[in-house]
Amino acid sequence: MPDLTITRVFDAPRELVFAAWTEPEQLASWLGPHGYTGSAVTLATRPGGAWRACIRSPEGDEHWMHGVYREIAAPERLVFTFAWDTEGDLRTETLVTVGFADLDGKTEMTFVQTGFPTAADRDGHDAGWTASFEDLTGFIRGKDAR
Amino acid sequence: MTDTLSRTFSALADPTRRAILARLSAGEATVNELAEPFPMSLPAVSRHLKVLEEAGLITRGRTRQWRPCRLEAKPLEGVADWVATYRRFWDGGFDRLEEHLRTLTGGPGDA
Repeated sequence: MPDLTITRVFDAPRELVFAAWTEPEQLASWLGPHGYTGSAVTLATRPGGAWRACIRSPEGDEHWMHGVYREIAAPERLVFTFAWDTEGDLRTETLVTVGFADLDGKTEMTFVQTGFPTAADRDGHDAGWTASFEDLTGFIRGKDAR
Repeated sequence: MTDTLSRTFSALADPTRRAILARLSAGEATVNELAEPFPMSLPAVSRHLKVLEEAGLITRGRTRQWRPCRLEAKPLEGVADWVATYRRFWDGGFDRLEEHLRTLTGGPGDA
């Protein structure tokens, strides 16, 4: 399952949800896991523009991340690259695509992160990849449930 | 030190090997059965099986002559855990995004 897909429905118009992704103070207020705080964020929200953000763990560890915007279509779609500054398990550059669909004033946000673990691997993705891993993921779940 | 995750990804970085694993997720199979859907020779399929076996993604029966292949999910759990790290990062953020939007709209939200 190297492609990560998360779908959420938010009780807010998609202009608001889109702005929460593209305005620095707003992104900083929610980015990162529970208990973390977002800090300095620079967002050059134009195609080719760079973004950079930081989250701070409850213990005070800072984790910086950065990327480049590939596509900005307010309030429907946002595409950007994502990479951590530091070496480690999460050092790979991945591609994030966020779609915002209007559901009678609510917003269905579809988040897709692709490109694990390398760009070459992402380029090598095919339909079989997804299908295979759906089967395998089900298999692993089955094992977990024993 | 052996980097298990790299070895797993390396073994998975081939569509034929992924298809073989998908087939094995439905149950054990012999080399002949596995080779059927692929337009390649048995030796070529055997080489793929060797890579999967070395990565610990499959095991092969020792007792029976036809040595059926069996999927081993343990290394895949490592892959799933690795991706899950990203899920934790984003899922946690989206919970907070929901809170944030609630303060913006002033509504009670749906949670």
